[in-house]
Amino acid sequence: MSFTREAVEALSGLHGEPEWLRARRLESFALFERMALPDTKRDKDWRQVDLKGLNLDSFEAFQPPDGRPAMVPMPQMAGVLAQRGTAEGTAEIDPSLTARGVIFCPLGKAAREVPELVQSHLFSGVRPERDKLAALHGALFSGGTFLYVPDGLTIDRPLMSRFWSGGGGATTLPHTVVVAGKGSSFHYVEEFIGAPDDSPSLASGSAELFLNDGANLGYVALHRWSPQAWQFANQRILLLRDAHLRMVNVGLGGRLARIRMEAMLEGPGSSAELRGLFFGTEQQAFDFRTLQDHLAPNTTSDLLYKGALRDTAKSAYVGVVRVEKNARGTSANQANRNLLLSEKARATSEPILEIENNDIVRCSHGATVGPVDPEHMFYLESRGIPHSVAQRMLVEGFLAEITDRIPVAHIREVVEHELATRIG
Amino acid sequence: MADFEIRDLRVTVEGREILKGISLDVNKGEVHAVMGPNGSGKSTLSHTLMGHPNYTVTSGEVIFKGKNLLALPTEQRAKLGVFLALQYPVVVPGISMSNFLRTAINAKRGYDGKDKSKAISPKEFLALLKNEMSVLRMDDSFLSRYVNEGFSGGEKKRAEILQMAVLKPEIAILDETDSGLDIDSIKFVSNAVNRMRGPELGVLIITHYTRILQFIKPDRVHVLVDGQFVLSGGPEVADRLEAKGYSEWVGKKEPAVIQEAR
Repeated sequence: MSFTREAVEALSGLHGEPEWLRARRLESFALFERMALPDTKRDKDWRQVDLKGLNLDSFEAFQPPDGRPAMVPMPQMAGVLAQRGTAEGTAEIDPSLTARGVIFCPLGKAAREVPELVQSHLFSGVRPERDKLAALHGALFSGGTFLYVPDGLTIDRPLMSRFWSGGGGATTLPHTVVVAGKGSSFHYVEEFIGAPDDSPSLASGSAELFLNDGANLGYVALHRWSPQAWQFANQRILLLRDAHLRMVNVGLGGRLARIRMEAMLEGPGSSAELRGLFFGTEQQAFDFRTLQDHLAPNTTSDLLYKGALRDTAKSAYVGVVRVEKNARGTSANQANRNLLLSEKARATSEPILEIENNDIVRCSHGATVGPVDPEHMFYLESRGIPHSVAQRMLVEGFLAEITDRIPVAHIREVVEHELATRIG
Repeated sequence: MADFEIRDLRVTVEGREILKGISLDVNKGEVHAVMGPNGSGKSTLSHTLMGHPNYTVTSGEVIFKGKNLLALPTEQRAKLGVFLALQYPVVVPGISMSNFLRTAINAKRGYDGKDKSKAISPKEFLALLKNEMSVLRMDDSFLSRYVNEGFSGGEKKRAEILQMAVLKPEIAILDETDSGLDIDSIKFVSNAVNRMRGPELGVLIITHYTRILQFIKPDRVHVLVDGQFVLSGGPEVADRLEAKGYSEWVGKKEPAVIQEAR
């Protein structure tokens, strides 16, 4: 079934969703039908994005359930959620956390059981009216995660969700809502996994994170969809007073992987450490859009996106730092560093500063695009380290600045392993 | 035939000739000093011997173990037993000193990631390093730090000598290892080098100043001016430079005196 009103209703029915959620899906679908694909020449949010070859009629709206994913025990996690394709996922969580009020479950289940909590947050950050692809996500999001951590609770072990996309032609659009109560502290990791396909699929994991006063959240999104997947992910984070976010986006999969991340520093004293890591091979293209929006006094953001590109892979980075009128005492840093590992790899980087309050601590940005530093290579080779080994060490070393910031050891190892296979 | 022979070496950098035909014989067991003023071609010589890509050899050979070193890529020169301690060791973020050293040692042992029996064991590695680091007065924290990142000038130079100590080259080129060092660091570095001296090691010390030669006594001293050797002799050549500097050659269009000091 391609993208039709009937498909939206069928998917909603499949997840047993309440009427209000079905209505929201249909509103989004109406937007989707009304809107044209983004104008990649004129729309500044989509400029230079190569949508050639994207044929929305070629995808199945969802897949009928074909069995539940095998739950892999992960004792290092406090909770694990697994979801295959568009079927509702399964979650397991440490019962002592449930007893203390933590909710960690498939989004559809949360919509049925705690509708007021979901209703007030869902799509209040990631807005379906933003563009046609956001509207599609609002209409056909395929389940996802709802995580609520009550005020004052610290969780020592991380929680993790894992999503597997269906095969070629499939649409897999998990959606995450995280609500971090006042003064809560925890780590949440999600992994998006696609099998290698020979035909295109549509797969994106979007996320809305709400950090209440003093909340402290570590968030890692590991995007490793199939190399044939079109990915249009939206992430929006709301930070209230003195909240702190430490976030790492890892982009490894996708034919076109677009990840738009917006950190809204709405509460005074809030701060965000924003990290991004990507590795492109063959004809992969990445498109990163970031926003560090300082809306309140004494807010801090520190963004660093680093990536390496092989073969004919491409990346585009467009990052906005916005210091709004109220945001005196802002400290903002933004940097994007790209390592080109072949003659034909390409990277562009565009920093944009929009400053409406000059009473700031600092606001800096930097961008680099280039090959491995020949002086570094000479140094390693002069110690007898073979060129190919030196190359691998230098690329790993370049990316280590980000991998070292992944707050969960198990995920850090997964990423390092994935990187090692790509470096070759 | 000497163990390490530089024959009529000519090198250009960005189209300009810097080394204008130099020849030098170094035997294992000997320490040679190459001294010269700024811009004489000292660093060009050291970098060319190690195969830095910015230097173009237009003629000449360097014969070591029956091979022309200049035809080999840098990593193979190192494997053959040539070592260069850099004047300005580069900072390599993201690679720890211990990873760097272990990989270099394993490369020398022929470990290519497959035959684990060739790799140095963690125990052996640590024992090797601890010993050399104590001679150089370096503390353990060096090993976990990224290569040269945040190192002071003296720490960087000591780290270079540490690498030399664990890689055990047969020909070591020390490029201005003394520059920017305080007297204590010079002593630690010199002690470490002197410990390594012996029939299996030839050393080429490249320096502007005579100071380090008070601690590492050279067998031969060669004066390099404007890309050519203008004087070669025993340790007394260093004394002459200490007294008179390079003034007798510098500023003249052609090096006036080319002589063998006795």
